[in-house]
Amino acid sequence: MKVFQINGNTLSLALFTDVTNSKELLDSMQAGTLDPEVAFLNASLIPDVFPLLAAAHKTLISKSRESLTTRTLHSELVYNYSGSKHITESLKRCGISESSSYVLAARFNASPDEMKAVEKLISGKEIDLDELEGRADQAHIQKHYKIPSPELGISTLADAITCRIAARDAL
Amino acid sequence: MEIDPIIDSGNGALVLVKQGAEARVFESVFAGKRSIVKERFSKKYRHPSLDSKLTIKRLNAEARCMTKARRLGVLTPVLYAVDPVLHTLTFEFVEGPSVKDVFLGFGSNGVVQERLADIATQIGDAIGKLHDGGLVHGDLTTSNMLIRDGTNKLVLIDFGLSFTSTLPEDKAVDLYVLERALISMHSSCGNVMDLILAAYKKSSKQWCSTLNKLAQVRQRGRKRTMVG
Repeated sequence: MKVFQINGNTLSLALFTDVTNSKELLDSMQAGTLDPEVAFLNASLIPDVFPLLAAAHKTLISKSRESLTTRTLHSELVYNYSGSKHITESLKRCGISESSSYVLAARFNASPDEMKAVEKLISGKEIDLDELEGRADQAHIQKHYKIPSPELGISTLADAITCRIAARDAL
Repeated sequence: MEIDPIIDSGNGALVLVKQGAEARVFESVFAGKRSIVKERFSKKYRHPSLDSKLTIKRLNAEARCMTKARRLGVLTPVLYAVDPVLHTLTFEFVEGPSVKDVFLGFGSNGVVQERLADIATQIGDAIGKLHDGGLVHGDLTTSNMLIRDGTNKLVLIDFGLSFTSTLPEDKAVDLYVLERALISMHSSCGNVMDLILAAYKKSSKQWCSTLNKLAQVRQRGRKRTMVG
């Protein structure tokens, strides 16, 4: 796992493959019984950590202004990462589903003990964040974020996603 | 467990780079990357409710136009964040000189024809792509174009006056503004505009109507005369 600093807060990230209990994770998340509270993201849509940090930055600002759109801080992170304004669709596509096996777990301001608890929640194999780029599903990302081919000629996937996350509310 | 020390991007780290009539530009750090923050400040002479409406509208328009340009295949800085409360845009810090500085360098140290032709071609190509996509930059000057270090790719900045339009008139005025800027700042570089227009013709499918209009605009100037 790795910890990133954003505006005086931290975001801890841990990446897992071969996750076998995503149905349980999804159920307990929807029931609100997940302890500690954590965001699960569909890692195949994440080619780099930077767009996620941009989404986290946006989330922390909404939180500090008490203007979260979704119910919790961590669901807001998933919603912001989607670059879309449709909450249900965002959580479905960028969050986890019953069949997910490749998952990124994220938690704001987590203590080391809390992250250990998160790692215990997930039955899967933890891998390094450097693997994100190689394992990303480019076709899926292009479709989800509507990235046309002229843009890919000049931009990386990560930059294209970052722009969409930042500009969502301006559209 | 490893900890990645990334510098805080709190507002304390803002360094003023430039102050204009509409906005202030700061340098800062966003999630560990060097960034530029553009703040549209409020105008005290306007009614507060009108002022905030205008500011938000222009802030959003700029964000939209920058991202639209990227979709059309024209390099602009990556947008990192839009803050409608602080009236700020945060984007990527592009390392490299402005085209203005490069051309002024040609003026004092002699023109490097190859480099000049490369830059002019990139400018014409970029404007052609914008115009065919229905986007008018609105403030094409050589100080709003950067050359990225390393790749030597042209990056367009400052979409504060940009708008969407498919009218040949708007596109022609866009080119005319650039032509005037080149004549007044960079006459020692020779006829850069011809190189730019040659590249524009190759890149824009609608070059014919735009260049016809440009000939008319040259006769009368940027503003349409509305007398009579």
